[in-house]
Amino acid sequence: MKTLMLLFAAAVSLLGLANQARAQQPAYFVTYSHELEEPRNLEIGTSTTIGSPGSGHPAFFAPFIELEYGATAWWTSELYLEGQSTAGDSALFTGWRLENRFRPLFREHVINPVLYFEYASTNEASKIMKEIVGNVETAAEINADARRVHAHEVETKLILSSNTHNWNLSGNFIVEKNLSEDEGFEFGYALGASRKLATMASAENCRFCRENFAAGLEMYGGLGSTNGFGLHNTVHYLAPVLAWQFSDNAAVQFSPAVRLTRVGNPVLFRISYIYEVRGFGTKVARLFGGG
Amino acid sequence: MKRSAWFIAVALFAYMTFAQEATQKHPKWQAPPDAAAKKNPVGDKPEVVAGGKKLFMRHCAECHNEDGSGLQDAANLQLPEVQKQTDGALFWKITTGNVKNGMPPFSRLSDDERWQIVSFLRTLKPASQ
Repeated sequence: MKTLMLLFAAAVSLLGLANQARAQQPAYFVTYSHELEEPRNLEIGTSTTIGSPGSGHPAFFAPFIELEYGATAWWTSELYLEGQSTAGDSALFTGWRLENRFRPLFREHVINPVLYFEYASTNEASKIMKEIVGNVETAAEINADARRVHAHEVETKLILSSNTHNWNLSGNFIVEKNLSEDEGFEFGYALGASRKLATMASAENCRFCRENFAAGLEMYGGLGSTNGFGLHNTVHYLAPVLAWQFSDNAAVQFSPAVRLTRVGNPVLFRISYIYEVRGFGTKVARLFGGG
Repeated sequence: MKRSAWFIAVALFAYMTFAQEATQKHPKWQAPPDAAAKKNPVGDKPEVVAGGKKLFMRHCAECHNEDGSGLQDAANLQLPEVQKQTDGALFWKITTGNVKNGMPPFSRLSDDERWQIVSFLRTLKPASQ
């Protein structure tokens, strides 16, 4: 079983190395902008969060696969499959998430809202830290114990985002409810600013032109819960992000996140690879005689 | 568990069918006068148009076809109805999109990149010409 889990983790990370970097989207890992997947496109991505908690706790490696589909120009749906491997412990599958994002306004505005809804079925061993909410959690358990504790969570986000003067500025307010335990509603936030390094497209196809790179800065953290809203005993990170679109439909992203508070992982490293399959929905429809 | 999976699958299928229906042409989609009056600041030098072509192939060709003739419900960009529109109007349409009718906004591209696409659109001609 352990070998199978290790194989899964290896496959996920290999796929990640072969596949992610949000094609032409702002350079963010945690923050969502109002950019949705283009209609009928499928984006396959793999990301990994690597952390070293310190204080004698072992380092971990938490990969996940994303399948993001643009159902329409105003609706994007995404499935996540995630795993985790801890040094000196074990590797395991930690669960899945299904998220949907909707644009309630059909025109571009100065500030564009997007509504986000997610259902997650994970266990306590999950460490991908796709978002930070609530208060700091207590000391890490071993995987064998953590995997037995299941969490069925519902999460919503209000995403506000603006593209202005070649910058993307985004802010997310997060509310999460664990349906398996009485933890109240937990809150969190993510803020981001991102810009491409060049604003004109060059005439030739090039991999290393400045236009293929984007840089961003994110800040994210918890805001407590209904049991105690605020910054007390919460963790916050500041994370520069660099994205490189190395082909028409593939990109990689890297981000070291530095902890701003006394608690939490001192540093998190995030790596991701994204590959976009253009017209996926049309191709599937043709396969079944439609489209 | 099996029943929930079936329910989700059917609901998704119904939603996608509805979404497909919603993707239709919208002839009354007009740029506001001040947006339509804007001039293209990047011009039509060959390197600008070549950059615009690269962006078009990456972002637009999937729906509008590589020669701009349009696929499925997307507009034929070679048609006089499109070509007679001002540069500013085309720039506005690329920027804001027509989300309800299937076209996403491309405000994530820089201003210069969107103008480059407009410059490339001016080179699109019907195959017979």
